Amino acid sequence: MDRQRVEHTVRTVLTVVLKEPLNSADVTRQNTASWDSLKHIEIMFALEDELETQFLEEELAALDSVKKIVDAVLSKHAA
Amino acid sequence: MCLEGYAFRLRPVTDQDAGFVVELRNTPGLNQYLHAGATGVEEQLAWQARYYDRTDSYYFMVERRTNEVAEGVFGLYNVDRNTATAEWGSWILRPDSLAAVESVYLLYRIAFEQVGLQSVYCRTVAENRKVVSFHDSCGITARRILPGHYEIRGKKYDAVEHRLELAVWSTVRTRLERLSQLTARRMNRG
Repeated sequence: MDRQRVEHTVRTVLTVVLKEPLNSADVTRQNTASWDSLKHIEIMFALEDELETQFLEEELAALDSVKKIVDAVLSKHAA
Repeated sequence: MCLEGYAFRLRPVTDQDAGFVVELRNTPGLNQYLHAGATGVEEQLAWQARYYDRTDSYYFMVERRTNEVAEGVFGLYNVDRNTATAEWGSWILRPDSLAAVESVYLLYRIAFEQVGLQSVYCRTVAENRKVVSFHDSCGITARRILPGHYEIRGKKYDAVEHRLELAVWSTVRTRLERLSQLTARRMNRG
């Protein structure tokens, strides 16, 4: 699984759940008002399904940007 | 008044919680849109003593069921038995908590199913866009702007009021309950 594919999937899921186009290159919870606590868990659950991975509880709360999510997914698939 | 959820429970605040509440309410980043509250445990205990005497308010701790560790706090207040309405707010959770959805799910259950309310509203500082978005995401479409409603540390803020009526609760409940179940399942898988 390569970074480009994972990032594409993450960005697609975000676009679908947030129901809006992503503006910046580094999308974070900090810079995306609609990425609220409810949407966050919807995003994480959707990503687990799409990327066939499981996030740890600590990750569910801490993965707050596209970059962090992509890094975490790649790390899991590399392990 | 307590209510058990899937991963969390709501229980009334007690004197033993005062330290946690003070710490949470004085955490930079979490208190930006809160009115100044107690800055010490003694002051918080005095506030709680006055609260215990009130019959129109409920102040809850959000607690994890598996280890009974507190993760947040909020209140249901201005309960009007004549109009069967109340406001909820002063909602603060630890930044790493996954209790957001389930705590609100439990609060609405208490409001509608235990207190017997017909309508519950929450007013959020309009600038606090993340929390405004959260209420929208719950599926609450009845909202209005209250210009200059809040004055916090000398600055005026508009508020966004989200109102949930009992007639709409079942739809919102389905959404919140499903997400609460899924969250608990993830938390319990270790």
